[in-house]
Amino acid sequence: MITKQALIAANRFGYGASHQQLLVASKDPKQWLKEQLTAVEFDPTLPSLNDMAGYLVDYQKKKKEQKKLGKSYKRPKAHIDAARRLMADSTIQAIAMDNSISWRLLDFFSNHFSVSAQGPQMSAIAPTLEREAIGPNLLGSFNDLLISVIKHPAMLLYLNNEKSAGNNSKLARKGRGLNENLAREILELHTVGVNGGYSQQDVIALANGISGWSFRRPNNGKPAGFTFRRRAHEPGSQTLLGKSYRQQGIKQGEAMLQALASHPGTARYVSTKLVRHFISDMPDPVLVNKLVKRWQQTNGNLKQIMLTLIDSQESWAVADNKLKTPRDFVISSFRLLNATPKKHRALIRTLSTLGQQPFKAGSPAGYGDSASHWDGANALMARIDWAAQLAGSRYTRGLTNIEQQLTALLTPQNYKTVMRAESRQQSLTLALMSPEFQRR
Amino acid sequence: MDRRQFISGTAASLALWHTQSLAGAVTASNKTPPKLIWIVLRGALDSLEVVIPTFDSGLLPLRPTIGLAKNQLQQPMHKGFALHPSLKHLYSWYQNKQLLPIVAVGSGFNKRSHFDGQDYLESGLNIIAHENGWLSRAITLKQRSAIAIAQSTPISLRGSDSVNTWYPSKLKHSSDDLYQSLQKMYQSDPRLLKKLNDGLALRNLTGGQKLTKSNGKFKTLATGCGQLMSTPDGPDCAMLELGGWDTHNNQNNRLKRQLTTLDDGLAALKLSLGDYWSNTAVVIATEFGRTAKENGTKGTDHGTGSALLLAGGAVAGGRVLGQWPGLAQHQLFEQRDLQATSNTFSWLATLLNQHWQIAPGAASNLFDGVSLYNEQLVS
Repeated sequence: MITKQALIAANRFGYGASHQQLLVASKDPKQWLKEQLTAVEFDPTLPSLNDMAGYLVDYQKKKKEQKKLGKSYKRPKAHIDAARRLMADSTIQAIAMDNSISWRLLDFFSNHFSVSAQGPQMSAIAPTLEREAIGPNLLGSFNDLLISVIKHPAMLLYLNNEKSAGNNSKLARKGRGLNENLAREILELHTVGVNGGYSQQDVIALANGISGWSFRRPNNGKPAGFTFRRRAHEPGSQTLLGKSYRQQGIKQGEAMLQALASHPGTARYVSTKLVRHFISDMPDPVLVNKLVKRWQQTNGNLKQIMLTLIDSQESWAVADNKLKTPRDFVISSFRLLNATPKKHRALIRTLSTLGQQPFKAGSPAGYGDSASHWDGANALMARIDWAAQLAGSRYTRGLTNIEQQLTALLTPQNYKTVMRAESRQQSLTLALMSPEFQRR
Repeated sequence: MDRRQFISGTAASLALWHTQSLAGAVTASNKTPPKLIWIVLRGALDSLEVVIPTFDSGLLPLRPTIGLAKNQLQQPMHKGFALHPSLKHLYSWYQNKQLLPIVAVGSGFNKRSHFDGQDYLESGLNIIAHENGWLSRAITLKQRSAIAIAQSTPISLRGSDSVNTWYPSKLKHSSDDLYQSLQKMYQSDPRLLKKLNDGLALRNLTGGQKLTKSNGKFKTLATGCGQLMSTPDGPDCAMLELGGWDTHNNQNNRLKRQLTTLDDGLAALKLSLGDYWSNTAVVIATEFGRTAKENGTKGTDHGTGSALLLAGGAVAGGRVLGQWPGLAQHQLFEQRDLQATSNTFSWLATLLNQHWQIAPGAASNLFDGVSLYNEQLVS
C-alpha cells in the first residue's frame, strides 16, 4: 500500500518517485527522506569551467585571426553542444537519481544564486557554478557555500566584479573604477535580503572589500579560475553593517562574507525562502522559526537545517499545496513515466516553451517561487499541450504500475475520469494535468 | 460538438473582452476606443543617453568615454534635447507630434534594487504590493480588460479578474474533449478551472497563433499585442516588457542594440494596431535611472531620475516636458544621480484622467493620493 505520507515525502520534498520507491517510503517516510540527503553527482564526462574557458580563449583567438583576413568565424558546433549538455545535465540527473530531495535542494540554491547564460561568455560558463561551487557545498555550511559561489568566475563575471577596482587602488589610476553590482546583490539577494537593514554605504563597503576578486583565463598551462588582483583592491579598512574590517587583501572580503553568512538576517531570509520553496507559498512563521533556530545552533549547517525541515510536523500539513513550477512538472512527469529524456536539446526547448529554461532567469533574483509566477492562462495551455505530447511519445513505453500510484494520488472522481478517457494517451495526459499532479 | 463551437461557447460565457463602457464609446463618436499600452523597460534605462540634454555643459565631463559626440546627435528636439540616434521611428513620431518625452521623472522609490524598484513602479502605491498593480486597479475602476504579453501575469496587472496573459506557443494544440475532461477535473480546483477557461477563450481570439523561429523577440510580441488589441472585442489595455537595460559595462553598444530593438518593436506595434493607433497612448517607463557619472567599466550604475516616454496617436507630442534639474555636482541627487523633479505616478494619474476620463480624485486615489499635473498629455 502506498500511503498519503509517502506521496507527500516524494512529491513535496522531491520530484516524485517510482512505485517501488513509494512502497519503501510508505514504511517510514521521514527516514526515507533523510537517507536521501547525500551528495549530488553530475555527469563526469562533461567539460569543466577550465575546459569551457579554454574553448572561449580558442574561439576568440581564431575569430581575431579570421577577422584580420576579412572572414567571419563561428563558434564550432562542438562548443555549442558542450554548453547545451552542461545546461541540461542537472535536470537530467534530477530525473534519473533516487536522492531527489538533494536535487531539489540543489535547484533551490542554484536559483538562489542565479546566473544567466547571456552572451557567448556566460553561455559557456553559467552552468559550471552549480556543478563546481554549489553541488560540493550543498550539505555543508552556508558560509562555505557562499564564499565558493562568490569566488566562482561565473558569478564574478555575471555581476561584473572581475573588472571592479577600488577608487584608491593602483588600477584606478589607469581608468578602472569600482563596480557595486555583485556587492549589492550579495546583500539584497544572497544573504540578509532586501529588508536586511543595509544602506548604500554598506554596499560600497562590501564592493570595496571584494574589489580585486577576479577571473583568470587559462594561460600557459595554468587553469582558469579565481584570482585576487592586489592592484585592484581598495586599500584601508571598511565598515559593513556597523562592524569594521581592518584585514588586508583578500582576507577582508572573506571576513565580510563570513560575517554575512552568520548574520541573523541571513538565517531568517534564507530559511523563509527554503520554506517557500519546499513547503508553501505562504511560509508558516512557526516552521521558519524552527529553521532559524537550527541555523543558529549549527552555524548554518544546511544538512541539519534540512533534517529539521523533514522532522517538523508543519512541513507535512499545509492548507494549500504548492503549484509545481514548469521545471518541477517536467522532472516529475518523466519520473512518473520512469523515463529519462534522451535528447538534451529537446529538453531545454521544452523548459523554454514552458517558461523556465535553465540558466535563463535573466535576473540575479532567479525564477519566481510561488503560484502567481506560473499559473497564467497561457502557461496552463502550454502545459496541457506538452503533457499531451509526452503522453503520446515513446517515453511511455516503459510505463508500469502507474495505476496504483494514481489511485493513491487522485480523488476517486478524478481517478474515474482518468481511467475512462478515450485513449491511453488521453488518460495519461489527464493524469499529468490533474490538480493532484499539478500540485505537490 | 465541434472544436469551434465548443471554444466560442466558452468565450461567450466568460464575456472576456466585452465591456459596456467601450461599446458606448464607439457609437458616441467616430473615434476608436482609447487604448492604453504600458511598457516596462526592466533593468533601469539610462535616460541621459536617450533624451539627451545637449545644452547641459555638465554632461560630457561626467561621461568622457560613453557620452555621444555632437556630430552623432542628428535628432534635435524641443528645449535643446536630442533623441538617441537609434530611435528612428520614434523620432518620426516626434516630428508628427506623436511622441512626448518627459525628463527627470522618478517613482519616488529611493533605493537601488531593480526588483524592488520594478515592483514599486508596478504596484503604484507607497509600498510594494505584490498582488495589487496600478493598471489592474484602473481597469477594475473602469470595467475594462487587459492582456499581459508574458508567460505569467506581471505585478502591474495582478489583482483583477479581467486580465489574461498571452505568449506564443510552439506546441501542437490538444483536442477538445481533453479540455472538457479537464474542466470536469478542475471542478475541485477553482483557480486552475478559471485559468483553463481563460486560456481557451484566449486561444480562440488569437486563432491559436504559434511560435515561429523569430518569436520571443520583442517585435513579434509587439505585433501579437497589436493584433490582439485590434480585434473587435479586443482588450482595452496591454502590458509589454523588455529587459536588458542594466548597462553596468559596455553601455554604448548595448544601448544601441537595445534601443533599436525597442524602436523596431514599437513600429511593429503601430503597424499591427492599424486604425486603433490614432486613439492609442503608449507609456514607456523604467524602474529608476542610472548614475550621471560613468563608472570604471564604460557603463553606469543604479541611479534615481530617468525619463518617461509617451507615444501614440492619442498623445499631444512634439514637445519635451519635465523640469530639468541640471547636472552640476550640487544639482545631482546624493551628488551622483539625475534628480527627479516630477513623479511617475502623478503623470500616470494625469494620463488616466485625460485618456480614460477617470475623474481627478479617483485617478489620484489609484496611486495612493498623488497630485495630478496641469499639462495636456492627450490631443
